[in-house]
Amino acid sequence: MTALLEIDGLYSGYAGVAMVRDLNLTVHAGEIVALLGPNGAGKTTTLLTTSGLNPVMKGDIRVFGRSVRGRPAHRAPREGLAHVLEDRSLFYQLTVAENLRLAAARSRGDLDRALSYFPALEPLLGRRAGLLSGGEQQMLAMARALTSKPRLLMVDEMSLGLAPVIVERLLPVLRRIVDDTGAGVLLVEQHVHLALEVADRAAVLVHGDLVASGTTAEIAGRAAALESTYFGAGARTDDRTDDRTDDPKAAPDAVPDADAEPDLDADPEGSR
Amino acid sequence: MTRPRTPSARLRTGVPALVVVALLAVILAKGDYRANFFSGGGFALGALVAAIALGVVVTYRGSGVVNLAGAAVAMYAAYVYADLRAHGDLFLPPLPNPLAPIEGLVHLAGDDSFAVPHWPTSVSFGTAMGFWPALVLALVFCALFGLVLHVAVFRPLRHAPVLAKVVASVGVLLFLQAVVVRRFSTTTQVVGPLPFVDKTQVDLGLFKITQEQLFVVCLVLVLAVALWALFGRSRFGLAVRAAAENEKGATVLGFSADRLAAATWVLSTVVTGLLGIFVASVNSAVDPNTMPALIVPAVTAALVGGFTSFGWTTLAAFGLGMQVSLVTFLGANESWFPKAGGLPVPGVDLLVPLVVIVAVLALRGQSLPTRGVLGPGRLPFSPSARPWALRYGGPGLAVVALIPGVFFLSPAMRDGLTNTLTGIVICLSIVVLTGFIGQISLAQTSFAGLSAYTVASLSTHHGWPFPLPILAGAAVAVVAGVLVALPALRVRGVHLAIATLAFAVAVDKVVFANSWINGGFDGATVTTPDLLRSQDTATHEFLGVTIGDGTQPNPLTLVFCLVVVVALGYLVANLRRSLTGRQMLAIRSNERAAAAAGVNVAAVKVLAFGVSAFIAGVGGAVIAYRTGNVTPDKFLYDKSLMFFAFAYLGGIASVTGAVTGGLLVGGGLGFTVLNQVFGLPDEFVLLLGGLGLVVTAVLNPEGVAGKARTDLLALRRRLRPPAPADPPTSTDSATMADSSTPAEPLIPADTATPTTGPTPTVPSAAPTPNAAPTPNAAPTPVASGSAAGSHVSGSAGATPAVAGEAR
Repeated sequence: MTALLEIDGLYSGYAGVAMVRDLNLTVHAGEIVALLGPNGAGKTTTLLTTSGLNPVMKGDIRVFGRSVRGRPAHRAPREGLAHVLEDRSLFYQLTVAENLRLAAARSRGDLDRALSYFPALEPLLGRRAGLLSGGEQQMLAMARALTSKPRLLMVDEMSLGLAPVIVERLLPVLRRIVDDTGAGVLLVEQHVHLALEVADRAAVLVHGDLVASGTTAEIAGRAAALESTYFGAGARTDDRTDDRTDDPKAAPDAVPDADAEPDLDADPEGSR
Repeated sequence: MTRPRTPSARLRTGVPALVVVALLAVILAKGDYRANFFSGGGFALGALVAAIALGVVVTYRGSGVVNLAGAAVAMYAAYVYADLRAHGDLFLPPLPNPLAPIEGLVHLAGDDSFAVPHWPTSVSFGTAMGFWPALVLALVFCALFGLVLHVAVFRPLRHAPVLAKVVASVGVLLFLQAVVVRRFSTTTQVVGPLPFVDKTQVDLGLFKITQEQLFVVCLVLVLAVALWALFGRSRFGLAVRAAAENEKGATVLGFSADRLAAATWVLSTVVTGLLGIFVASVNSAVDPNTMPALIVPAVTAALVGGFTSFGWTTLAAFGLGMQVSLVTFLGANESWFPKAGGLPVPGVDLLVPLVVIVAVLALRGQSLPTRGVLGPGRLPFSPSARPWALRYGGPGLAVVALIPGVFFLSPAMRDGLTNTLTGIVICLSIVVLTGFIGQISLAQTSFAGLSAYTVASLSTHHGWPFPLPILAGAAVAVVAGVLVALPALRVRGVHLAIATLAFAVAVDKVVFANSWINGGFDGATVTTPDLLRSQDTATHEFLGVTIGDGTQPNPLTLVFCLVVVVALGYLVANLRRSLTGRQMLAIRSNERAAAAAGVNVAAVKVLAFGVSAFIAGVGGAVIAYRTGNVTPDKFLYDKSLMFFAFAYLGGIASVTGAVTGGLLVGGGLGFTVLNQVFGLPDEFVLLLGGLGLVVTAVLNPEGVAGKARTDLLALRRRLRPPAPADPPTSTDSATMADSSTPAEPLIPADTATPTTGPTPTVPSAAPTPNAAPTPNAAPTPVASGSAAGSHVSGSAGATPAVAGEAR
């Protein structure tokens, strides 16, 4: 079985600084690979580089067997790469249906099948994407990616800004999608436990270096080591793995701010 | 989707609709009103305005640029077509020859026979062309031109602040105008008629119209419907809208945002050019000034359509085009029409777009931007003046200008230096308004002109002694500035730029072209003290030093300008250092955040407009005193555009930037040097200026002074022994992008503290009671923190690059 995605000795970053160093990773059809690691580990950078939105500094990435180097970023999506970006990148001025139609434009994708995974979107088809709540927007981002019938799906921090309740419902959908379509998924996720539940394999990045990779069972078996990567040396060892307080910038935000509140439920009236 | 409509929302659409219906009823009821409103000429003008407006909407939707050069493209296309029809020549823009300086230097060394090869000025296709080949060739040229605009100008600017895009489009406007003036002079060019329609009258019952006018109108209507279908129904249109909003999102779906934007540029230049050609043919004439000025009604119409709706845009454009002949008729025939000196006030037809703009913006605008509305984009860093710069830099610079200016420079260079000094004043006024508080005004020379005419009137007709009229003129400018500030309280960004542009164009005609005010052909005389008069050639002895060499201009004029520049420079530098200055910067960064921190946004905005208009007013007064008479040409709207552009290029956020901008202005020291040393002819000033604007805006969106500053810092960093490099601690793309932007002072602690006392926004506040987390709902701190940014609008705070784009 050939790999859908082969990352081979990748160096990538911003402004000449490599945020990801010597990364090797493959994703095959029909499997979910979770890319884990604390903030600043280079997970999003890896995905952006794979999509061609960030240049490769050294090494190579092959998507469907073709190198991304020197290729315009809009080519790979036409061959079956879908990327749910960290900021979702929805088109807020367009309706839900129009957002989905755009994804179907290139690959004659199946709108109905995509919606079947997210039935909550059906009554919202005529609504502008900007008026959806955070959870609905994430569902739309996922549905949009699925509409294009991807062979390789990359999902970046699906849980960002969402209530854990919603995340628990969204992540298992990924498993169903993979089982139904045989696509490969590269998943970046901060909810480590949930990610390990749905994934087949996992890789852990810390400060741009691959520190561990293997099946989810192997990675989950090294929970303590995993936690220390999130908290740094001498960190607390309670089980709140998804609470990254090592980042000094994040500390003040430990108080949940009002802006996150409206996202707690999938209220159709939305947060605005 | 049904939204409950509030009573005020009903009022907001109902009242304007009623006004429009009432006006139409009056027009339809009176026979001669009707005949003048629904006139063939009015329809043709309306069609042209509509085409330009449609082009503006298309480019805005495709690339987020409000293309102020849209109307100039129509004019340029008409010229290309006319030249092809008349002589079979396709004229090329005279690009600057990179070898020209060599030739200049050799000539300077004495060898006048030396010549380097020059660019071809046109491509000849033999003899005069028929209609179809000329039309096709002109449209192909338009398409290529649109492509060049995209590739060379607006694609490099796609992540630049809105300001840079406005400046670049102004540069294109000036460039196109300059090319045409250079080739064909400002006189009207005759354009042959269309072959398949003629001037036969067609009776449409309510009104009569010639065949060719009817053809043009129908063509525009068909184009509008076609564009509506293309954007509203087709996948291409959907993709264009998507890519304009979120380039990254479109890319990951497999669309090339770049190609989509290129397609819209080509589409808009072809549509605009086509109608430019046809309407010029209908009018049998084209000149370099009339068509480009139609950008004002065109953007007004686009504004009515919300830069989105093709239908409303077309309708409004026809209305705005057709009212012109009606207003002219009213002025000639109605006793109630406002008169000045026995003649109808000129330019009332230009007040109509202004009224429409103000009404639309007042009804639609919000006193604070709503959540998710993007600001003016990233603006250049605004450094606070350092103490050493204030103590030594300012006086040093002044002395550097003073001594050669008074004793050594040739008259021409002296004139150039004085132009630079007056230019600096206008640039300073723009620094306050745009650099500090982020409001775009394209009416600064209108303020200056109002002040200049006040000075002329007071000093000549009322005998006010020398310095007093300056203050009175500045006061008049302040009043005008505050009036303009009122709409600015509810709108921002490009919308404000449009409103001020309409104001400037209206003032041009209503005030500056009003013979009752402007003193007729010779201009309004200013009674200047002999010492300051530019024409004064007497020499003066001060402390044993002779000043003046018996030639014009009088060096003391320069000294006077210099004193004003230094005083205003310190005013602006100190404003930046003051609490008010920091409040202005806070508003520039984020109006909502500034309001939340206790800044009175409205008051500070009005103040900024007042200060800016004051500085511009003093500038106008200085120009008046310097030249001894006031003529409108110094203060027309295109001068405002130029000054804005040069101020932006110089560096819009600092006094140094204003000084740099002053060096660059047309007729300033920079061009005088080019002219005197390299023998660059005067006609090239505007052309090079326009081109230089585009090039600098593209290469260097922070302005020359900003760029110099960054380079200096980089140099200093390189020279300093390297500090141990911290490993980057955060790799989130969003935070990375943030940290790469210059750290803009948000709300300094000392801004917030005195106005609000204990600030409620201090992040270290103790956990609030409702923060007690439910067991599994332990909040992911960083996630929620950054989501606040990305959730608001998808791009508001998270990725500045995309934020600029979506705008």
